[in-house]
Amino acid sequence: MDSDSIVEIDGLHVSFRLRGERVHALRGVTLDVKRGESLAIVGESGSGKSVLCKCLMGLLDSNGEITEGTITFDGIELTKIKDEKQWLNIRGSGIAFVMQDPISSLNPLMRVGDQVKEAVLLHQGLSGSEARQAAVNALSDVGIDSAEKRYMQYPHEFSGGMRQRAVIAIALACKPKLIICDEPTTALDVTIQAQILGLIKEMQKKMHLTTIYVTHDLGVVAMIADRVAVMYAGDIIEVGTVREVFKRPAHPYTWALLSSLPQLAPKSGELYSIGGSPPNMANEISGDAFAPRNPYALNIDFVQRPGYYSLSPTHKARTWLLDSRAPRVDPPEGIQKIRRGDGL
Amino acid sequence: MQRLIRSAVTLVVVIAVVFGLLRQMPIEGYFNNYDKMTPTQIRVGLERHGLNRPYLRALMSFLGNLLKGDLGVSNRYRVGYPINSLIAQKMPISMSIGILALITALALGLPLGVLMARSAISAKRFKAADKAGSAFIAIVESIPFAVYCLFIQIYGTELIRKYIYLPMLFSKENIATWFLPVFSLSLANMAMYAMWMRRYMIDEYSREYTRLARAKGVSEAAISTKHVFRNAIVPLSQYLPTSLVVTLMGSLYVESRYSIPGMGGLLVDSIKRQDNTLVLALVVVYTALSIAGVFIGDIAMAVLDPRIRLTRSQEAR
Amino acid sequence: MPTMQKQAFEAISDAASKALAGKPPFERAPYSPEAGEEAPHEAYSYWRSTMRIFLRNKTAVAFLAIMAALLVFTFVQPLIPGQKSPTEIFNDERGIQIRNAPPSREFWLGTNSIGQDLWSRIWAGTRTSLLIAFAVAIIDSALGIAMGVVWGYIRAVEGMFTELYNIFDNIPQTLMLILISYVLRPSVSTIILALSITSWLTTARFIRNQIVIIRDRDYNLASRCLGSPPLKIIARNIMPFLISVITMRAAIAIPNAISNEVFVSYIGLGLPLAIPSLGNLITSGIDKMLEPSLRYQLIFPAAVLCLITVSFYIVGNALADASDPKNHTI
Repeated sequence: MDSDSIVEIDGLHVSFRLRGERVHALRGVTLDVKRGESLAIVGESGSGKSVLCKCLMGLLDSNGEITEGTITFDGIELTKIKDEKQWLNIRGSGIAFVMQDPISSLNPLMRVGDQVKEAVLLHQGLSGSEARQAAVNALSDVGIDSAEKRYMQYPHEFSGGMRQRAVIAIALACKPKLIICDEPTTALDVTIQAQILGLIKEMQKKMHLTTIYVTHDLGVVAMIADRVAVMYAGDIIEVGTVREVFKRPAHPYTWALLSSLPQLAPKSGELYSIGGSPPNMANEISGDAFAPRNPYALNIDFVQRPGYYSLSPTHKARTWLLDSRAPRVDPPEGIQKIRRGDGL
Repeated sequence: MQRLIRSAVTLVVVIAVVFGLLRQMPIEGYFNNYDKMTPTQIRVGLERHGLNRPYLRALMSFLGNLLKGDLGVSNRYRVGYPINSLIAQKMPISMSIGILALITALALGLPLGVLMARSAISAKRFKAADKAGSAFIAIVESIPFAVYCLFIQIYGTELIRKYIYLPMLFSKENIATWFLPVFSLSLANMAMYAMWMRRYMIDEYSREYTRLARAKGVSEAAISTKHVFRNAIVPLSQYLPTSLVVTLMGSLYVESRYSIPGMGGLLVDSIKRQDNTLVLALVVVYTALSIAGVFIGDIAMAVLDPRIRLTRSQEAR
Repeated sequence: MPTMQKQAFEAISDAASKALAGKPPFERAPYSPEAGEEAPHEAYSYWRSTMRIFLRNKTAVAFLAIMAALLVFTFVQPLIPGQKSPTEIFNDERGIQIRNAPPSREFWLGTNSIGQDLWSRIWAGTRTSLLIAFAVAIIDSALGIAMGVVWGYIRAVEGMFTELYNIFDNIPQTLMLILISYVLRPSVSTIILALSITSWLTTARFIRNQIVIIRDRDYNLASRCLGSPPLKIIARNIMPFLISVITMRAAIAIPNAISNEVFVSYIGLGLPLAIPSLGNLITSGIDKMLEPSLRYQLIFPAAVLCLITVSFYIVGNALADASDPKNHTI
């Protein structure tokens, strides 16, 4: 295993009990996160990206369970942790979390400053007025003006963008090694989105953080990530640097995902959409989960799951199309356009 | 201020309704010895009570007297005795019992709710506390107050008698006799507080900000006290008026069962004796108390929740 | 576990080659856009899920059985041969009333202080009380729903109704109940009137809040924009949600009515003794409570009453839980 990996996930299976059924949310996720990088995980809703993040924090819902596989964070095997107390050393100081919805992720009855101070007290070993000052600083670091006054206010006196800044301040006040951002900007206005992304990027550089972004927005990926992992039906089907995945996508699902970007729409003006719907995760999936919706599917796609095929030391994809026995398949027009270098 | 005016308006409307209702009563209720009275005596009596005046004028004069703090005199319960002094005698004992019962309910109900909530969200093997608590709540909520109160009186007294001597009825000087009435009066509110506390705590546990608190490494114990408990208390405060009314109404029964010389027992007695003026006065006092309870509940909520200011437009609760 | 493959080649498993059934593995499979469209989730049925969750609650199912048995027996009991009349006063061979006789083969639950058969009085009383309770529950739901729907759906009256509600909600229900029973003469219909006048407000408020929540949901806005008349919107979109609410309210209203009847009887405003009800049976039982040997006159009616209220309460709560779509994910 690489020593420069901060997170190593190996063959992770997670399932949930739902209406008396077993739903397989993750089906053998294998992924490394390098120290200091910025990794984006993309996929449509229900593809398991949020579940993956919750596993990292040990905050899986009570009806969910890791059935197989391991997660290692900074040399600690998270999947072996039984005791809540051990998790307290990971959460915050190891991994911090920025959630999707800034409206509901702050406690409405606590002063914003006190919520930042709570993190400072836990993770910076400061006390009393020092901690308060550190919290004020944390607020002004994330671009909140007159932080001293804002410290005393309640969340309902903050705008959405301001709240997300406060949430980021809380995350940073923990002095973490890794920050997970679960769709940090979906609930915000477009103009504020860019500000928040810029802020996270700036903070990452300043504090040498590793970040994981979870998003379904490919625009966000292009803007902030070094590497991207594409998830479909609880599995990572393609992973590589942003350049590799955007310029030389190999999995038909990635093709479809990129083709649905408005920038790639043909001149006729019609947007591409992926036919069909994601598979029912309560059923046993044999073969490639995307096969039924895949116009390029091979017979084998329906019966056996493909392994990973490497395209470069950093780029791999899980599709039989890369097998030496597979026929040559021409990707859709939009993807060919990217490969030629125009588009995007 | 606006709320205060609203409360006053409510009180006046309620008095008007009650006043109107009581005028439908047979006039015997205004006299001590109706059967032996001559028609002239009756007419004079009616005049004295303002009963042959039109409804509005009678109401106005009652309200006027009320503003002066005069509730009238009793007709049957204690003939000619001013109701003010009657209430002044009985109020303190009712108040002490009611307040003690409310404190007991809070002191036992809240911890029970917290315990149940923590047990409910915990691993399977710790769910026993939640189950036991739910059974207790179901019993208290579903068995009529009048019935369980009675059984507590019978068997509670017998049980305690095994250790110390305990009369079945209340006596102000004997502290031991306070225990059972206060306890039975507090049970309904205890169950209510435990039930809502449990529910709100569980809601709070699934909130995003609780997750965020967890994600920043706050321990379970600190989450329970700093985030969950405090936030659950806020919606709970809206039940304060309800619990006050429950206590007031429960006291009617409890005071009469234990012969406690309070207002509740007085109301039951005045109904049994058909003392109309006393019934009217007591109903007005009870309504005023419950309106005051609602008012206090609103203030408590505004104090606890920074998002609410008292000026907000009043919605139906 | 498939891990990273260094070579661009992976063996095809035996199972997979069997499943291929001779088809060449690396040939393009026929693609139809509809193929990916097969219903991804098992069709979700509201009522089926409600049933499933309810039936999983074993305690509630048991109490439902008890409740059904009690109801059936209460109404069938007078038809069973050999049952005594609840109002007949029994004398012994010397013509003296058989007072306060302990339970025996002749009088299964003994007799009361004037020699009436307690067993048949209890069932007659249960009949009266249930009759009152059902009548109150029906009036409560009907009036509550009608007013709640108007209140929640017609914006013109919303403000006025809310003001009125805030005023009348301040009168404690028990006080109102006492007053009305005090003013009117005690009879079955008085009790029904007094109980239902106080209880429907809660139902109306409940319904109104539900309607406001549902009314403002987007899909109803959509159908409003499409020009559906309001009543049709209520019937189509809102009533199905409300049915569960109604079941629950009724399940609460019945035990509530029964216990209120007991309270009214206790303070001396209940039914005359000639009409046995659980309320006046318990009230006359209270007089005997100091004498342990006569306590059965209190305990038996109280036990039947508790069985009824407890089973309604538990079944009602279980139904409410089961009909809440939020619980359908378990």
